[in-house]
Amino acid sequence: MNATLTTCPYCGTGCNFYLLSDDRGRLSGVEPAAKHPVSRGQLCIKGWNAHAFVDHPKRLKTPLIRKNGKLQPTDWQTALDLLHDKLSEIAAKEGPDSLMFLSSAKVSNEENYLLMKLARAGYGTNNIDHCARLCHSSTVTGLVETLGSGAMTNSLSCFEETELVFVIGSNTTEQHPLIGSRILQAVQRGAKLLVADSRKIRLSRHADLHLRHQNGSDVALLNGMMWQILQDGLENRAFIAQRTENFSALQHSLKAFTPDYVARITGLQPGQIIAAARQFATSDRAMIVYAMGITQHSHGVDNVRAISNLALLTGNLGRPGTGINPLRGQNNVQGACDMGALPDVYSGYQKVSDPQIREKFSTAWSVKLPETPGRMSTHAIEAAAGGELHGMLVLGENPVISDANQALVRQALGKLEFLAVIDIFLTETAQLADLVLPAACYAERDGTFTSTERRVQRGRKVIEPPGDARADWQILVALLHRCGLKNDYTAPAEIMHEIASLTPSYGGIDYSRLEGDGLQWPCPDPAHPGSPILHLEECARGKGHFSPVDYRPPGELPDAEYPLLLNTGRTAFHWHTGSMTRRSHLLDREERHAFVEVNPEDAITYQISERQQLKISSRRGSIYAATRVTDRVPSGQIFIPFHFAEAAANVLTNNLLDPESGIPEFKVCAVRIEPC
Amino acid sequence: MLKQLNRADLDLLLTQISDEYRLQVPQLLADGTRQLAGYTGEAELSLTGEVLQRKPSAFFFPQTQRLLDIDTAGAVAVPQPAEKPLALFGLNQADLAGIRFLDRFFRAAPADDAYLRQRNGALLIGLTGMAGPDNCFLSLSAGDCDIELVAVKESWLALGHSSDGEKLLQNFPEGDKTQLVRMRHLNEGTAAESDLLQQASQLLIEDRVPDQFWMEIADRCILCSGCNLVCPTCSCFCVQDRNRGEITERSRVWDSCQLDAFMREASGHNPLGTDALRTRRRIHHKLAADVERWGEFGCVACGRCDRTCPTGIGMMAVAEEMVKCFGPGKP
Repeated sequence: MNATLTTCPYCGTGCNFYLLSDDRGRLSGVEPAAKHPVSRGQLCIKGWNAHAFVDHPKRLKTPLIRKNGKLQPTDWQTALDLLHDKLSEIAAKEGPDSLMFLSSAKVSNEENYLLMKLARAGYGTNNIDHCARLCHSSTVTGLVETLGSGAMTNSLSCFEETELVFVIGSNTTEQHPLIGSRILQAVQRGAKLLVADSRKIRLSRHADLHLRHQNGSDVALLNGMMWQILQDGLENRAFIAQRTENFSALQHSLKAFTPDYVARITGLQPGQIIAAARQFATSDRAMIVYAMGITQHSHGVDNVRAISNLALLTGNLGRPGTGINPLRGQNNVQGACDMGALPDVYSGYQKVSDPQIREKFSTAWSVKLPETPGRMSTHAIEAAAGGELHGMLVLGENPVISDANQALVRQALGKLEFLAVIDIFLTETAQLADLVLPAACYAERDGTFTSTERRVQRGRKVIEPPGDARADWQILVALLHRCGLKNDYTAPAEIMHEIASLTPSYGGIDYSRLEGDGLQWPCPDPAHPGSPILHLEECARGKGHFSPVDYRPPGELPDAEYPLLLNTGRTAFHWHTGSMTRRSHLLDREERHAFVEVNPEDAITYQISERQQLKISSRRGSIYAATRVTDRVPSGQIFIPFHFAEAAANVLTNNLLDPESGIPEFKVCAVRIEPC
Repeated sequence: MLKQLNRADLDLLLTQISDEYRLQVPQLLADGTRQLAGYTGEAELSLTGEVLQRKPSAFFFPQTQRLLDIDTAGAVAVPQPAEKPLALFGLNQADLAGIRFLDRFFRAAPADDAYLRQRNGALLIGLTGMAGPDNCFLSLSAGDCDIELVAVKESWLALGHSSDGEKLLQNFPEGDKTQLVRMRHLNEGTAAESDLLQQASQLLIEDRVPDQFWMEIADRCILCSGCNLVCPTCSCFCVQDRNRGEITERSRVWDSCQLDAFMREASGHNPLGTDALRTRRRIHHKLAADVERWGEFGCVACGRCDRTCPTGIGMMAVAEEMVKCFGPGKP
């Protein structure tokens, strides 16, 4: 039995474990790394089963090309030539901006960097994006404006030092279980816990206060807390004076947000808002933890601004045990953003629109680069549906299941002249492709991943990929070659040299330094020890900027025709579109079928019983799922996880986008239910 | 038989064993995890330290284990045993007790052939005495191994507990009996953990732990299943079939009674349908049901579940809380 240390492929926590393999090159299990600072000998259920999908018979083993309407095996040379020819042809005919590149938060930093380079330098477009658009684009936009950096400000070790944890819109024990466990440990040693979530999540059982505010009313709640803090004089005046700007605008903006007014919007009692404000503001060290409940709204950026305002108002920034802590979803969603798999920035958030920056990359890559920022992935879908986009290369993403309003996504992808997908399974998106390339999975290639606490860590190759499947970086190198760009990288470590040379925050990252616990960026030079906490003396942008926000209701609230609110999310046992976890025996067995959570009161109203099939409809479509009667959801709300292709929650969801971050309103739309 | 080995003798013994067996020895892996790994003669041995990370019984009952291959004609092929049997070195008293527990379960009729393919002929080498972290004392074995090496200052007392073990040790020098007596004396003061388990077990058998207790413990569970997966006496598995065209591979994989689907029936009904019932089962099974069935705890007090539980509700932690709440002196 061989044991190889690597980074977990699931969430952004950054756990490390040993993949156990036998002498025939097959994985036999997982063992948590005992001394790693994040995993500490522990894993969640997905981590313990992370080996299980790798050897699944349905893994893609050869390139597939669509002939006579069917995907048929082909060889790599033919596949890569076709891919390059088609992309070049479309770029020549319709312009480079008629192409779209979707990168992936599941592939390494090196692979994200190469795809970003390929799109910009190879095919001449800034149309590159990835699924951070659907999860934390609101964070990146909001926190860059207020602090100058869109990343989690503190480290996971800070949970050991905090006095209060305020969790808003994060089902932490299910979605970041090893972070959720740190919150529970903090509670055990006496820290206070405030939970704001409409659902009775596990953390709420341990909370000093559980605020079940209406989905989409976060701005009102946070503004209300700040109103009360100012009313009580509990703001941190020294911090505000020394470290922030625009305070008077914030004060002015909060005037209307009295507890009574906020209570009407949120559905809470005024006393709950006052109590939350006082508990938060009277703690010397408070951490705010948030995730999709904050970001996935048509006002997601405003939600993030409100969170930032609350932290600045109370001086909870730049110290251990404090901070604004957005929990990143995928194991490399932080890294995919860092590497510039975004339409407006190169690696290290260096702006495409800045002529000096463009010149730097242009010189390094020996090619002229496009000036206009590209399309966001959600806008790209709209553009494709409108016939403005003609070719798309998707690397390890599954927008048919993960994007809002599936009918629109299918229409958009169907209209493309050419769709190519690189993936490990024939996902619902790959099934629509003209060309499918088989990729190596995390256990079959080297690379680095950046966790939610900005920890850059190694992923290590343990076994060979199945059949003819290749590592994504090798596929991308072959395309760089066809574009006439540098393509002599022999290993991901060499790609990291190039990344470090062009990316200030990764300047000191080198494989030789990643053998231990990894390094937390910013790590600007080879002697720098990394940065566990951001904004220590001053914020990345200088002063912390108060950015006042007003409450805007969600775009589609329940009405007479569609009387219930649909909330979507995930379960503890499945990962996103299920392509890996539904092929992992234990995880699949635990949640095999789509379900819908219905409050007991609503079950009586609609005369629905446990496990009964329901037809759930929104203005965009209908699905069928089995009822789970539970008070986890409040009356008037139903919850559906989006993992299940056969009952995809995103058939129903609203593709109304945040005007700044382009994130869809996954957490609120109006639906009706019918027993059947 | 009592022998005494210095470091050179130990290396010689391991080299001899590795000729006949697939020898696994304690090593520190990349991040400092202490775990059994294949003996190469070159990698540094970790002769003192924490409890081995992966339970050694995983060599006999691994997380994924192929049971058989079935072809389209219905022919069944069973995996062949490896050419050389396994030898596991570095097992503490709890590791050995865990293997003895599993042996009894899997050897009971009908004997489990997949387990025996790995287990038969395997050599178990205990490492006890001053071999804990910072050379602290580890309990002596119950003699349930082939060879026991008892660490004393800069050498090891070697006991042959089986004929295979005695044969391997025969050419080494005689051991110092007074040192062994001293070690046995130390061994007498190490029963604290089993006292705690005994008290907890009694509370369960007398049904003095209310449902509310289990609800509170279960509220802290984040359903990782780690407590089961690391437990050396847990033997539950589920069966996975993978169809690769001509061949269907049937394997078994470690299961966990903490999962809802573990007992869920096809109708959807679940006799263990709440986290609280499943948490109670985990503890009750080891401290009450196993006592009734086997006459001993199903917990060997290795400490692995307490170490791997992200929220501090491993066996010892729960037993302690139970005794604190409902033990002697409580109403």
